[in-house]
Amino acid sequence: MALRGAWQFQKLVVSYCNWGGSSRGIRAFMESELPALIEKNPQLEVATELSRGQHPYLKGIYRNRNERVVCVKNMDPEQVLLNATRLRNSLGRKVVKLRTRHVTKHPSVQGTWTTAVKF
Amino acid sequence: MASLRCIRELSRRATTVLSISQTRLISSIRGLELSGKSITQAEAPVQNRPLTRDFLWYSRSQGRQFASKSNGTDESSEGEDEEEMEVEREYSPAEIGYKVMGPLKSSERLFKPYEPVFAVVQIGSHQFKVSNGDSIFTEKLKFCDINDKLTLTKVLLLGSASQTIIGRPILPDATVHAVVEEHALDEKVLIFKKKRRKNYRRTTGHRQELTKLRITDIQGIEKPEPEIVLKPSKSADTQQPEAELVG
Repeated sequence: MALRGAWQFQKLVVSYCNWGGSSRGIRAFMESELPALIEKNPQLEVATELSRGQHPYLKGIYRNRNERVVCVKNMDPEQVLLNATRLRNSLGRKVVKLRTRHVTKHPSVQGTWTTAVKF
Repeated sequence: MASLRCIRELSRRATTVLSISQTRLISSIRGLELSGKSITQAEAPVQNRPLTRDFLWYSRSQGRQFASKSNGTDESSEGEDEEEMEVEREYSPAEIGYKVMGPLKSSERLFKPYEPVFAVVQIGSHQFKVSNGDSIFTEKLKFCDINDKLTLTKVLLLGSASQTIIGRPILPDATVHAVVEEHALDEKVLIFKKKRRKNYRRTTGHRQELTKLRITDIQGIEKPEPEIVLKPSKSADTQQPEAELVG
């Protein structure tokens, strides 16, 4: 998630509950894997929020002011890490079906072929 | 569920087998399978009809357990060998996808303006006609992270406005440099299966993992020199409208 070298993923908000059982995985993730994630991504701001009585979620904020929220209730710490890595790896663009696999502004170098072109 | 049923049946039949053959105690399923083998080898000539049926079922069920690779707690030791063999298949990090990983990007200016040069490059089984500054969506590339520089080594054709270089099948001296922009999931596609009048309806969701690459440089062909456009200075600009008005 870097557009022409500029990181698009700005902030990760880890919201959890310290009482609920659905937050067990994310609490374990915060102890075991979150420090490693912070170390590997120095350009990323990570904030932890306590929201009691609510299910846990990961919120990713991108440079195009897009927010992606992923609910991580009842997940293992490894699954939470996978979700966090996926958020970090993607650009903030809307998830739409790909039109083409090749996006270009200059489709032709030697001139677009027409029936009038003679080699 | 099927594995639990198998285990129950196995234990039931194994006890009958044990009572007849008087082999050693069976504690785990691994032990069961071993002793089962020894039983078939040793007791083959002495089997009764119900016993043979049991043994056949036993060996077949063992085979089934092997193949299914289900939630194996005790079977995991045998299942792991099969999985390891599958993973070791030829996945050398970069050669299969025809890419070589360069070092991570530091603070260097890689993104040049457009040059009228193109290359046909192959990644995995897909080929793309790329130029400087294009983006490509490929299947997820392992072993590379965001902001990694890649070198795409399998170049099939190079072209510019004046020259075309065709590889047979690849050009060994040509390289295309790219940078990994993102690893993301595609939108979910719903796979709906139905057989009419047969009470069969299935819905599956699938999201493909893709990697977006930005092509930065193509090497191996002479590039035309960029034309330098002289910008008119400001004093000339202010004078020109006056001239136009007068003219």
